[in-house]
Amino acid sequence: MTAAETVPDTAEPQPLLRTLAPLLRGLERQVRAWLDGRRRFPLGMLQRAELEGLADDLRRQAEALDVDRPLLVVMLMGGTGVGKSTLFNALAGAPVAQAAFTRPTTRDPVVYFHHSVRPDRLDPALRLCKLVQHDRAGLEQKVVVDTPDLDSNDLSNRDKLKALLPIADIVLYVGSQEKYHDRLGWDLFKEQRARRAFAFVLNKWDRCVTGESGLRPDEDLLKDLKDEGFANPLLFRTTAQAWLDAAVNSGKWPPPPPADLPDGEQFTLLRNWLELGLTRLEIEAVKARGVGQLLATAARAVDAARPPDLTAEAEKVQAAWRRVLADEADVQADVLVGTLEPYQTEVEHHFSVEDQRRYRGLMAAYLRFSTRMRYSRSSLRDRIPFAGRVLPGAKVETPVEWNLGAFVQECARTAGERVLDQRTAALVNRLLVEADQKGFPLGLLNEPTAAVGRMDWRDRMTRGLIDALTEVEREATHPTGWRRALRGTLTTLANMLPEVSLVATAGILLWKFMVQQYVPGLFEMALVVLVPLLVVVVLHMLIVLLLPVRWPAIRGRFREKLGARVAAEMDRVYLPVPAEIAAALRDERGRVDALLAETKEVADWLAERQQSARVTELYGA
Amino acid sequence: MEPTDHRSAVGELADDLRWLEDHCRRQPDLAAHAGTLRLASALTRNVIGPFLEGQPARPLHVAVVGGAGAGKSTVVNFLAGAVVAEANPQAGYTRHPTAFLPPGPAFHWPTYIGFMGPLHRLAGDKPANADEDVYQVKRVPGDAESPLGDFVIWDCPDMTTWASAGYVSRLLEVAALADVVVYVASDERYNDEVPTQFLHLLVKAGKAVVVVLTKVREADAAALAEHFRQEILGRLPKLPDGTSPAVPVLTFPQMPHAERTDPAGAGAKHRVPLLNQILTLAGADTAARVRTVTNATKYLTTAGDGLLDVARRDLAEFDAWKAAVAAGRAEFEERYRKEFLSGEQFHRIDRYRDELMDQMELPGAGRLVGGLIWLARTPYRWTRDYVGKLVSRPEVYNLPEQTVLTAALTGWLDRLQAEALRRAPTHPVWKAIAVRFESELGPQARERFAGQFRDFELKETDELERAGKRLVDTLEKNPALLYTLRGGKLAVDLAVVGGILYLTWPPGWSLLILIPLGVSATHQAAELAVRGIVEGVRTRVRSQREDLVTTALTAPLAGWLAEWPATGGSSIEKLQQVLRRVPDTIRKLDERVRAKAAEWAATPASGGREPPDPPAHQGAHAPRSPETA
Repeated sequence: MTAAETVPDTAEPQPLLRTLAPLLRGLERQVRAWLDGRRRFPLGMLQRAELEGLADDLRRQAEALDVDRPLLVVMLMGGTGVGKSTLFNALAGAPVAQAAFTRPTTRDPVVYFHHSVRPDRLDPALRLCKLVQHDRAGLEQKVVVDTPDLDSNDLSNRDKLKALLPIADIVLYVGSQEKYHDRLGWDLFKEQRARRAFAFVLNKWDRCVTGESGLRPDEDLLKDLKDEGFANPLLFRTTAQAWLDAAVNSGKWPPPPPADLPDGEQFTLLRNWLELGLTRLEIEAVKARGVGQLLATAARAVDAARPPDLTAEAEKVQAAWRRVLADEADVQADVLVGTLEPYQTEVEHHFSVEDQRRYRGLMAAYLRFSTRMRYSRSSLRDRIPFAGRVLPGAKVETPVEWNLGAFVQECARTAGERVLDQRTAALVNRLLVEADQKGFPLGLLNEPTAAVGRMDWRDRMTRGLIDALTEVEREATHPTGWRRALRGTLTTLANMLPEVSLVATAGILLWKFMVQQYVPGLFEMALVVLVPLLVVVVLHMLIVLLLPVRWPAIRGRFREKLGARVAAEMDRVYLPVPAEIAAALRDERGRVDALLAETKEVADWLAERQQSARVTELYGA
Repeated sequence: MEPTDHRSAVGELADDLRWLEDHCRRQPDLAAHAGTLRLASALTRNVIGPFLEGQPARPLHVAVVGGAGAGKSTVVNFLAGAVVAEANPQAGYTRHPTAFLPPGPAFHWPTYIGFMGPLHRLAGDKPANADEDVYQVKRVPGDAESPLGDFVIWDCPDMTTWASAGYVSRLLEVAALADVVVYVASDERYNDEVPTQFLHLLVKAGKAVVVVLTKVREADAAALAEHFRQEILGRLPKLPDGTSPAVPVLTFPQMPHAERTDPAGAGAKHRVPLLNQILTLAGADTAARVRTVTNATKYLTTAGDGLLDVARRDLAEFDAWKAAVAAGRAEFEERYRKEFLSGEQFHRIDRYRDELMDQMELPGAGRLVGGLIWLARTPYRWTRDYVGKLVSRPEVYNLPEQTVLTAALTGWLDRLQAEALRRAPTHPVWKAIAVRFESELGPQARERFAGQFRDFELKETDELERAGKRLVDTLEKNPALLYTLRGGKLAVDLAVVGGILYLTWPPGWSLLILIPLGVSATHQAAELAVRGIVEGVRTRVRSQREDLVTTALTAPLAGWLAEWPATGGSSIEKLQQVLRRVPDTIRKLDERVRAKAAEWAATPASGGREPPDPPAHQGAHAPRSPETA
């Protein structure tokens, strides 16, 4: 092993690749943080796997570069029987990898590396392979790997190869006359070509030069490669078996050229390229370019996972939803008010009682009596068993001490059971369909909207009902404007006049009796009661006429308030959903953009420092 | 058997299988099945069809298949006994099949409509790498009597290169046609995955296979053949009849140029064993062809279910759609019941109740008595009305029927649309539905519903009217009953009055209270009875209405919705048709093949060399005796 001593052995520090290592690590951390972070925008399984693989690659590259002299991994790839192992052995000059006529031969990869390299410096995946050390100076910085096949019936071989490929810096695509463009190998090449350097070997060259008519396999392969963008690929035509035989028979290194080599055999060229052509400059260039390719792939993958900007769509969806929700609120309010319909007398009674709290004295007593008389049936009704069937189980207390909360809750429950629950479920679907028509991705909206639909709508409706009722009650009992003045006047009059009239009538009678000695008759005596009663009745009629508390009036106001409340509640809960999603996506987008910018920064930094080396033919266009 | 009958069956089956194949190619996760389906349709067209048509048993077809560069063309040359095929170092050079006819007198070339499917015969001569859906027929030069005198030798394209995806269907076409397949594998290729899968397919289709291992070092030949038998043949699938396939293995060494280019002379030592194997497999007379055909039908019969598996996923999704429609229908009916029916009182029926009560009053002279009694009941009526007002609550506000139905329909359609949109990314069936929902399904469904609703409205008014009428008519149509009731009521009234008079005699002021009380009690009893009857009618009307919604609205609409994806020439429609038809047709063809095979066994020697001048041919792919190469 004496060849290749011409490799310049420099020990100067390599700032480029070593500086790259921490940058790549930083990038890897960011990608991982992004992958593990919470996200609204779903990541496809394949996308996720790809990104995770890329994060692994970033870390691997960082570790591989964080050394004084990075190792170049050259990996052989090809179908079974094309002679990968033979070629590998010929390059090693000894049968280190098993080669035989039974297919597939190689099941476990073989790693060929310099003895100065400690095995623990190899990538973890390589450490598990069969390790063969050598002392050839020309291959000091290079690790050559023989891999299992990619096309035999033993599918596990293919998996082993695919697990190893990410480590390769240069892939040596080995083909034979039969297999140089087989689909399985070609697909793998196309999948990997954006990620690493490729050189090509057409082995069993003796079978290609048969002197028969037609395109020679190497010409055919060059044509295929040209179509793939490799205008000037490195293609070596070899007869590895002959060279291996020569090496084994002669026991010398380098072996003497075998006797009957076919024309155009290029094994020596391949060996020289591997030993001498790939100098330190080239290795660095290949490494740097590999990193560049990795960064480009990562940028592409991240970009593909970038969430869309849905701000405009969210606004459109909101506008559409607002319409739908307004219609729905209308119907729901109707239904809710309709549930109260059977209890109109109770509500009216309740309002009257509330209204009468401000009267005192005679007026209050009279009103209490008359109200009780007027609404006597509403209390009677609850004592009749079959009358309460409209609200099964509802026990409506007399309005004086009734429990508004329980009553309204019962109403909301009934309305929910009859109508609202189904409508809410249907509403969610309606909203989703609307959103889809506005171009909002349904996958993002589905869950949050359904969650809103599953909320405690009955409780919300109960609250809305109570609030609306209280508000209408307050409005009725605390009017504004001229009603307030009128009401104040009436109240004052009602609280004063009956007593005044009583006292006045009694006073007059008394005065007549005392002063005029006039003994009042039965009628005059009755006037003491009748006059205040008349006053009270007149006042009551005035109150009823001027400030009525009747169901139709209450209903109108109530419906209005309730409608507004239901609409507000729906808007409050449903409308922010698309905007929230859009905002979350904007956030995620920002994070992805930051990641992309950083990737680009590293890539630019690298591109500026790319050194010129003769490696362009390893990469297609 | 009518000749046109089996022709249409064969054509139909082949077309169905071709359609399934295309269907698979359109779906990436089913693309792997496309090859099997192609083989099945080719078997139908190229083997079963001609056989039922009565084509002769000879020539037999020998197809040479294998991976790129394995040496197929060399093997063809060895079979033909002369260099006829372009053996070319370029891998994957041959891109369409070429048939080589033996030298000597012309024989009957298969004529059958649909023979070789989409491949048409090239009139002129083209290089083997012409990448078109064609096949060539050439003649082996010379006039020496060939051992394979009534064999057609087919040189086929490979199935391994990256370009092969475009032409592997041509290979399948010939493989299906073949009576004997020569599977060529080189020392590099023999354990490759893709050719091995192809070999499995051939064995499953019941083809007689000879394996030729090429480029084998003489020293390794025996070991390699043994290794091949264990590794590859040992894992072959069982034949349609359950036995392990017997596949002979031959080896060809890497031959020098001289041997390779002179099969009949220098290479004869390799050629002879191969010819022997093929002649052994070919057997005598009609046996080989009958075996090919019966194996083909066996393959179709046993693989039939597997072939149709590709359709099942689509149909499973279709079932999911149907389930969604059914769930939507249940929800629709539930909503109608809860939102409308539960609160609906059918006030119209009250009118009939009043009418019924009126009928109970006596006409004519009886009216006077009735009037008196009516007068006596006045306080009762007032009390009754007052108490009734006290007791009854106003009703819950009920949404109008049309509003409820429209909302329920919107809910149903929205639910389906949302479901389709949600599942659109998972399967093309849903995607097709989602895409056409807004423009077609939705409007059409609404239109149908509107039509049905008009119908429904008429029927429901009619039904309500009828129920009420029946109530009244029962009495009107039955005067005896009517008068009995009327008279009965009057009699009871009079009896009560009489009873009171009798018990309280002599008459006093108390009569003024007791008599109205008595007649009121009888009237109340009558009213309660009528009310009971009317409530019964109300309940009946309610359940009838529920049934009416089901029969007039939801059932037709649900049926239409459920079948919608399978209409309008959609793939589901075709799939259903194919799934129904294919097993039937296969069974039918199987029976006919059996019958015909039995017929052939009874009268042998229908094959072999035909008279030198073949009969006139008809059909697009009906060449006369082929021109010499």
